[in-house]
Amino acid sequence: MWRLWRPDAVRALEDPKVVSSMPRYIGILKGKLLPKFVISRQVQVEWGSDSSEDELWDIHDASLRKMEKLMRDLDSGRIHPDELGDPPKKSLLHLKARIGESIMRSCRLCERRCGADRLKGELGFCRVGREFRVHSCFDHLGEEPEVVPSFTVYGSRVRPN
Amino acid sequence: MCPASRYTDLESGRISLGCNFACIHCQNWEISQQFAEGTVCGEREIAALIDEARRRGCRNQNWVGGDPIPHIPFWLKVLLWETENTPVFFNTNGFYSTEASSLLRGVVDIYKIDFKYGSDICAEKISGVSGYWKVITRNLKAAKKQGELLIRVLVLPRHLECCLIPIVSFISRELGPETRVNLMDQYSPHWRAAELPELKKRLDPDEWEKAVKIALEAGLRNVIT
Ligand code: SF4
Ligand code: SF4
Repeated sequence: MWRLWRPDAVRALEDPKVVSSMPRYIGILKGKLLPKFVISRQVQVEWGSDSSEDELWDIHDASLRKMEKLMRDLDSGRIHPDELGDPPKKSLLHLKARIGESIMRSCRLCERRCGADRLKGELGFCRVGREFRVHSCFDHLGEEPEVVPSFTVYGSRVRPN
Repeated sequence: MCPASRYTDLESGRISLGCNFACIHCQNWEISQQFAEGTVCGEREIAALIDEARRRGCRNQNWVGGDPIPHIPFWLKVLLWETENTPVFFNTNGFYSTEASSLLRGVVDIYKIDFKYGSDICAEKISGVSGYWKVITRNLKAAKKQGELLIRVLVLPRHLECCLIPIVSFISRELGPETRVNLMDQYSPHWRAAELPELKKRLDPDEWEKAVKIALEAGLRNVIT
């Protein structure tokens, strides 16, 4: 259906201006390259349950360099995706999720840096709490041609009183 | 989601809050007052919806809010459950911390950043944030290094000199004239926009013409209008 509404979107992936600004994205859509999160999920990482946030960041940064090396190897064809094998139990993506949770203890995800302890139920300026509230999701057709159709998820917040 | 999303807003009105900005012209505020706060969702459930969407031909997963910044920790967990190769499209006002930026690195495929203001004074007045310019320019530069970048610029009436000119010159000079920029004329006075005299009305056609000229004269070569 979307092809009828947005014929420009059908052509977009061949548009030289799109191709030059997002070659990797197009490679993923054509099945030639992997999204970044999939590669991060392949990088095995170990950390202790008692590691401090600083220690977790050190491990994170070192693993990120490994991830970026792996991505270069995959993108250039030096490594084939089939050689990757099953994703490890603990990966860079798991570590990111772990750090993300720990940041919510004193939230500084945005530059307001409220410091709200969202895990304890405090709310910062944005009123996004400890749980993922979703307002709606749908196939969005109203964005730039190369983007649509786009499965759009609207995160929500706790309602003000 | 920002007013910038009014690009060809087929689904207008289905928006909620959850944003680190407080834009006076936010189309979401007036709507969101009437809405419930959304449903608490499991990460696994959302991952399944995204996989299904990819299988029926959606090109990406589009993380929106308000703004997706406060939701990053949830999203990282969603990704752990996904089984399809769905690119991540991070749809943001760009006011995130360096910590958030590190978490996004190695995760986000496309950074779609709204570049709203060319001056801290306008950012403070209209969106209630301080120190805007330093943060947005730092994040734009980093986004270009760590992913692919799409910038949206919603032209605000009477903000050509103070905002549009510094915005497009920064893009051209620091990010390169080939940067893909969606220049948008869809401004419309939502929420409390009438409190600021210049934001009471839509953009007039002369101003739009001038805006396009400014963008091209700055050297931008990949502009969607
Ligand atoms: S506004 Fe929200 S995301 Fe930003 S620091 Fe405060 S709680 Fe965190
Ligand atoms: S950035 Fe501004 S316009 Fe966009 S959702 Fe937040 S408050 Fe509304």
